[in-house]
Amino acid sequence: MVRLLERCVLHVRKGVKSPPFFIFWMIFPVILILSIFTFYPTVNGIILAFENYSVFNFSNIHFIGLKNFTKILSDPLFWTALWNTLWWIVLSVSFQFVLGFGLALLMREPFKGRGIYAGLVFYPWALSGFAIGILWSWLLNAQFGFINDILIKLHIISEGINFLSVPSWAFFSVVLVNIWYGIPFFAIMLLAALQSIPQELYESAEIDGAGIFSKFVHVTIPYVSSTILATLLLRVIWVMNFPDVIYGMTQGGPGGTTNILATYMINIVYYKNNYSLSSAVGVFVITILMIYSVLYLQFTSKHGADEF
Amino acid sequence: MKKVMILTVGIFLMGVFAFSTPKIVLNMVQVFTSPSRTEILQNIIDQFEALHPDVHINLISPPYSTAYQKIYLMLSTEQPLDIVEVGDWSLEGVVELGKLVNLQPYIATWDASKDIVPGLMKAVSVTGGIPYIIPNGVYAKALFYRPDVLAKYGITTPPKTMDELYADALKITNPKKNQYGFDFRGTGLPTNFIDIVTTSYLNDVDPNNMYKLTNGQLWFKDPRALEGLKMYVDFYKYTAPKDSINWGFDEQVNAFVSGTTPFLFQDPDTTGLLSTMLKPDQWMTAPLPIGPSGKVYPSYGFGGWGITTYSKHKDLAWEFIKFFTTPKIAAYFCKNYGALPVLKSVYDSDPYFNQGVFKAWQYMFDYPETYVFTSYPLNNKKWTEWNEYQQDTMQQVLLGNMTPQEALNKWYDFWKDAFSM
Repeated sequence: MVRLLERCVLHVRKGVKSPPFFIFWMIFPVILILSIFTFYPTVNGIILAFENYSVFNFSNIHFIGLKNFTKILSDPLFWTALWNTLWWIVLSVSFQFVLGFGLALLMREPFKGRGIYAGLVFYPWALSGFAIGILWSWLLNAQFGFINDILIKLHIISEGINFLSVPSWAFFSVVLVNIWYGIPFFAIMLLAALQSIPQELYESAEIDGAGIFSKFVHVTIPYVSSTILATLLLRVIWVMNFPDVIYGMTQGGPGGTTNILATYMINIVYYKNNYSLSSAVGVFVITILMIYSVLYLQFTSKHGADEF
Repeated sequence: MKKVMILTVGIFLMGVFAFSTPKIVLNMVQVFTSPSRTEILQNIIDQFEALHPDVHINLISPPYSTAYQKIYLMLSTEQPLDIVEVGDWSLEGVVELGKLVNLQPYIATWDASKDIVPGLMKAVSVTGGIPYIIPNGVYAKALFYRPDVLAKYGITTPPKTMDELYADALKITNPKKNQYGFDFRGTGLPTNFIDIVTTSYLNDVDPNNMYKLTNGQLWFKDPRALEGLKMYVDFYKYTAPKDSINWGFDEQVNAFVSGTTPFLFQDPDTTGLLSTMLKPDQWMTAPLPIGPSGKVYPSYGFGGWGITTYSKHKDLAWEFIKFFTTPKIAAYFCKNYGALPVLKSVYDSDPYFNQGVFKAWQYMFDYPETYVFTSYPLNNKKWTEWNEYQQDTMQQVLLGNMTPQEALNKWYDFWKDAFSM
């Protein structure tokens, strides 16, 4: 390896421009690591989706065509999970973005105690999603939960609300917690972008007679648009693959009503020990995300977000 | 001088390593892991190691939720493993991997085998009548209740029938006071709970198969089963918190300890937990309430130790299992963990298991015509699928998306197919 590096350095010193040999060895470690930890599991997962791989039956694993996919598509819980996933993403990401952006704007200007305030705002982001889920499941517990206790003591309600056992309440609760959990991500990213806007732009805009709203629309938004587009793209992917909060709070219940595709996938492994069936759901998720990413990137490039 | 000293120490150390006998390592995995259980098992292992100084037992304690996945993987890939714990519901699946030793030859030469509770070895011989495990504890549901909470409502004796239980639970239920009656199990595979209430309306369930009548027919289309299932749903609707649709074991125990739900069906291993959380006069057990049929159908649950086919130390592993099944160790394990002992002599020699909270089980064992211990079809290929299926359909009934009759029809179709009827 050392000899190879010496040869590479020699190539560079000799002024050889981009020798394929040099480029290959420079990117080789990255390719190797990605292959082991990302590409191989992904490809293997896709292959599993077409087999009957179950921990109960290791001795007879074979190709079964599209059976796993037809089984999944005929399960009403899959369609509930798919529909929930859509709402889970739309509600979570939109509220996280709006509230996170709002917080970033508030924290852009220096004020006394900004550091402490920022620390408190960013705190949820430092915690484990699963731990957050368990914590909130106890806070929202109908019998022993802190939130019901407070509401009863304030005489707002007379008996505990079943936050996690009535389907509509349960889905509302998990989405609310996810919004709370994800706000800091947008706040951190957008605050960094906002702080990089040159002050001169605002001064020029003021000279041209721009008001607060006009400055926001014509200076702030265009300047941070590439950050907004990147964070939205990433966040949608992350939220779709984020079962932690739901699993900690309801495990997808009651009756599968808070399942998203990611929790549905985990439950198949947990209760059925059927990795193939679970992989079939995984293939659906990958397909949806690939379609989304391509459409999103096409849309954003068409609408002038070239920098992104 | 320095060189001589280094050389001397080096030769000494080499001698120590060369002449010391390496210990034999046995790898053992438990399924029902909890911190207290791990401590109990480690204590027993320490005692065994003291008697066998050349042996070291490495206890593997995966979290319960993923224990079977780990065991399946370890066995399938023949990772170092000598002693394996398997529970009743998963025994058939583990045995099917072909990695557990048939223990019959060992049992044939084991005197203590005659001391095992009658019928238990037959019950654990799930696959082809062959014993692949030696049970380490027996579990069966009884009624746990809170006399201190019930006394506030004028209830001084535990209910003897399902109707009495329902009436008592209904009487004390008051959501405004956060007081409910029945400690309902909504998730975490509630099969036992559903079946105990539902089958109590039938007087002719086959003791060899929980889902069949003595005439060989499935009972799901029997009108009495519908009444039983309706009663189970009523327990949820009118005597249990709505949140209990999400309750597993932890939430059940939590609600019982807090007094929110003072009636609980649970296994004897709950006694170990409750004795650390409640005062002795705050909780008691009673036999399961009988249904309108005059009977109730609890089932034996059990866990046990097996030996892997690829173990290099099978005889030593068997030595440990025999040690675990001696009266002294069995009694220690059962007292501290809360299981019912598998040896007859323990019941005879240790009054602990005939009195106090254990009296309820003893009573049920004494009246087998009323408390009919019934087997589940554990060797059926669809058994593991059933537990999840029943839980899912039951939750749909509790949410009002399905009627009890529709659920029973689905269960009928499931078992008709599973039994190839």
